[in-house]
Amino acid sequence: MATRDNKAEVIIPPNTLRAKVGSASGKVMLDPAVLKRAEMAMDNLRQEFSGWLAKDIEALANAFSVFAKSPTADNAGYLFRAAHDLKGQATTFEYPLIARVAASLAKLMDGMTSWRASPLPLVAAHVDAIAVIHRERIKDISNRTALVLAEELEARVVKTLAKASQQ
Amino acid sequence: MDGLRFDKLRVLVVDDNQHMRKLIVAVLQAVGVRDLFEAPDGEHAWAHLRESNPDVIILDWQMSGMTGLEFVRLLRNSPRSPNVFVPVIMLTGHTHVDHVRQARDAGVNEFLAKPVSVKAILSRLINVIEHPRPFIRTKYYFGPCRRRRSVTVYTGPERRASELTPID
Repeated sequence: MATRDNKAEVIIPPNTLRAKVGSASGKVMLDPAVLKRAEMAMDNLRQEFSGWLAKDIEALANAFSVFAKSPTADNAGYLFRAAHDLKGQATTFEYPLIARVAASLAKLMDGMTSWRASPLPLVAAHVDAIAVIHRERIKDISNRTALVLAEELEARVVKTLAKASQQ
Repeated sequence: MDGLRFDKLRVLVVDDNQHMRKLIVAVLQAVGVRDLFEAPDGEHAWAHLRESNPDVIILDWQMSGMTGLEFVRLLRNSPRSPNVFVPVIMLTGHTHVDHVRQARDAGVNEFLAKPVSVKAILSRLINVIEHPRPFIRTKYYFGPCRRRRSVTVYTGPERRASELTPID
């Protein structure tokens, strides 16, 4: 533990932001019409979501292909980031089960202590599952087939990580 | 209605995923933000920080090269930082409490977990405008006050004593 120096200086920066953005009345409030406009902007982008996701899935497949040929720490990092991107974005882009499978893959990549020990077939199964869910346009979070697939992959990741931690 | 003047706001959006950047930018434009700056990674954002001179930064955590956390540490602590006080909203797929703590300890003001929604984006934005936090400078930390509310009844040992690493 580092030696503690108790001195703490409290600084109150000038609140230029409120002065700049605040309403004429000085009250901070959001105009409901502005909120509606923002919701509409998001809605207008929805038709692009599937195409955006396709590009992110392609990036994941490429990262996997590179990692499979050369399982270095750098390439594992690219693969983890591609999976992590999908984990974060797929639900926003209306594919929550892709987010779930991507989260499982990110957990696997993050949890492996040795990149070279990463089980390629299990990684490939995640990449393939994500591609299938997107190709079949499975947006429903309760889709039975996709759910079973996601649960199976998650269970295998848990087993794999448990086994890896004992080695 | 007498609402917020988002048209006066300068916002920098830093995300290596162009689609997420496009989505955030579209929402901000829709609420009236005109001075929008985009950067595909931390290095670009840092290199152009002085000219973009943002009022608020929306920053992805997981990026190739300089991560969001590294960017925030530079922003808060580098003598070359043009504005150490600028509010940072961290956009991330990490939701574990340890990650929230790491972001907070780097000097992040708000945490915006993915999946993002319009309401979540705007509520974080309004929060940094409406509830600016005092900044704290110690030997080990410089950034917004990490307490959400004042704690007056706490009588235990110093809560962050085991987490201390001096700032370079």
